[in-house]
Amino acid sequence: MRLLIVEDEIKTGDYLKQGLTEAGFQVCLARNGLDGHHLAMTELFDVIILDIMLPDVSGWRILESVREAKNDTPVLFLSARDSVDDRVKGLELGADDYLIKPFAFSEVLARVRTLIRRGGVQKVADILTIADLEMDIPKRKIQRAGKRILLSNKEFSLLELLLRREGEVLSRSLIASQVWDMNFESDTNVIDVAIRRLRGKVDDDYSIKLIHTVRGMGYKLEVENAQN
Amino acid sequence: MPKTNARPMSLTMRVVLFIAVTVIACLTLVASLINSSIEHHFIEQDSGELKVISQSVAAVLAQQHSSSTALGQALSKAVAGHHGVYYQVNSQQGTLIYQSSDRDFTKQIMSAPSALGFNRDNIVLWQANDHTYRALVSDFNVQQQQYKITAAIDMSFHKHFLRQFKQSLWVIMFGSAVLILLVAWFAVHQGLNPLRGLSKKIYDIQTHKMDVRLDESKVPIELVNMVHSFNAMLDRLQDEFMRLSNFSTDIAHELRTPLTNIITQTQVGLTKKRDLVQYQELLFSNLEELERLTKMVSDMLWLAKTQNGLIKAQQQVLQSDEEIDALLEYFDAVAEDANITFIKQGSNVEFYCEQLHFRQLLSNLLSNAIRYTPAGESITIKSERIGSDQVCISVINPGEKIAAEHLPYLFDRFYRADKSRQRQGNGAGLGLAIVKALVTANGGEIVVTSNENTRFNVFFKHIKS
Repeated sequence: MRLLIVEDEIKTGDYLKQGLTEAGFQVCLARNGLDGHHLAMTELFDVIILDIMLPDVSGWRILESVREAKNDTPVLFLSARDSVDDRVKGLELGADDYLIKPFAFSEVLARVRTLIRRGGVQKVADILTIADLEMDIPKRKIQRAGKRILLSNKEFSLLELLLRREGEVLSRSLIASQVWDMNFESDTNVIDVAIRRLRGKVDDDYSIKLIHTVRGMGYKLEVENAQN
Repeated sequence: MPKTNARPMSLTMRVVLFIAVTVIACLTLVASLINSSIEHHFIEQDSGELKVISQSVAAVLAQQHSSSTALGQALSKAVAGHHGVYYQVNSQQGTLIYQSSDRDFTKQIMSAPSALGFNRDNIVLWQANDHTYRALVSDFNVQQQQYKITAAIDMSFHKHFLRQFKQSLWVIMFGSAVLILLVAWFAVHQGLNPLRGLSKKIYDIQTHKMDVRLDESKVPIELVNMVHSFNAMLDRLQDEFMRLSNFSTDIAHELRTPLTNIITQTQVGLTKKRDLVQYQELLFSNLEELERLTKMVSDMLWLAKTQNGLIKAQQQVLQSDEEIDALLEYFDAVAEDANITFIKQGSNVEFYCEQLHFRQLLSNLLSNAIRYTPAGESITIKSERIGSDQVCISVINPGEKIAAEHLPYLFDRFYRADKSRQRQGNGAGLGLAIVKALVTANGGEIVVTSNENTRFNVFFKHIKS
């Protein structure tokens, strides 16, 4: 999976590149609009991450050129200005998603993965499994090591989300949005409480822990392997 | 029609113009009245005189006279004590019988209207030998003799007098008009003095001396209203300015805490070599502080934008039951942890608000209520129709009463009723400010009361289905 990042801010570019490379992507970093434009027009990428405020060629121009060339590579744009006009403009010009600075790296990763997934057709599995946990979505049955686990509706949705995005760090706001349809940043510890309860039912009685807290970022579900 | 935005006429100009038009009109009226009454008086005087002269002449004619010489002498004495007066007697055929001077009017006499007796209506104006005369021709019969008696007054003197009089009248008029205008201008100028005084006082108001107020008792009655409004404006500005100053101070404080934490921890962490876990711990801790900072900054930016009217709500019709249920479900676990129950009251109402905004504001109100409700108690969420066009969603929680003096400031950014209260990682005191901004952006209102319960009432427009 090849990514192009066009970002003139040195530190932001470096860390994005490092983070995404460590997440298993091949990352190409352009530090100005001109190089970014050239790369976007001449090479193939799976996702382009585009900063809008570039010193020479603006992100809008690059986006326009890419779309004019009938190239529909997913584009995620980064904007420091949280103005509705910017968002609308970006989406009108054919961007697929946007992030407002400052953003959490986990958020970037989640968006990029979503964009890549959107590219291919995803077969939604009916039965999700990890380690000795099995989740049958249509039957709404959950078993761990053969024992039935009873969950409330929201707990069920929360576990399903964690399973479907196995290995990804999910931020609290993403969980609130996906499970409870609360699409705003909140100060409450609702998600933490919900995860704690889910852990009580899914993890507490078992030696292998599946739900993990990633401090400062959110939660992820995976079988603990290496030292983390 | 393009709008002209020319400055309106100056006050002085308005008043002076208004007075000028009135004064000039009045003076002109007075002048023409005086003028015409003098003329009228002259005419009266002249006609009376002409009649007297004609009658005197007639009386002489009526007497017996021995000869024409005697008649002439008698006629020459007929009129005495009149200046600029001429009379003559002609026969009916126009033969001159007597004339009082060398001015002969025979030619005019024959064409003038005349009648028996001394009829005023027959008075005419004549032009003869470069003079203007007022004259009366009367027929007079005595002893089968018919005479035409003519009396004429030279009007040069009158005309001269009138001309003189008119001239001085106009001079007086013009003079008094100018004088009145000057006085009016001066009066207006003086009248505006208090305004200039006010202006100077206002000019001296500085942001660090915002407690200056204009004294209402020291201005003329007409300006009291303006001064009152101005003082009210100053009150509002000062209040807003104080809030803004406090806000800046609060921002600095709020930012200082996490920054201090980050710097201290990082410096301590770097003083010696540590193992991997400790470095991770340090980074995690920094990350948490930075998240706090980010959240605060984005909340503040968001608030700033709503205050500049940049947040446009995409209003939709919401069902209160649906929204409240979703939120109660969201807070279910948290409330249970805190040993607090929710009580839902009232009926489903439809109202007009952006869904995301409503959920966020109710979420803030609920988390606030959970924070201050003692364990074992319950929070009431009520929805009801108010009148025909409003709905009210209330969040009511028991707990410590909020003192009345705090209530007006509760929705201010960073305002905390209890200054000593520890910030327990639950936001930076922007929650209620955001609630208020959201409510306002959706055309609603929010009111808070606090007695044995603290009650937030949010009013929205109800859309008739």
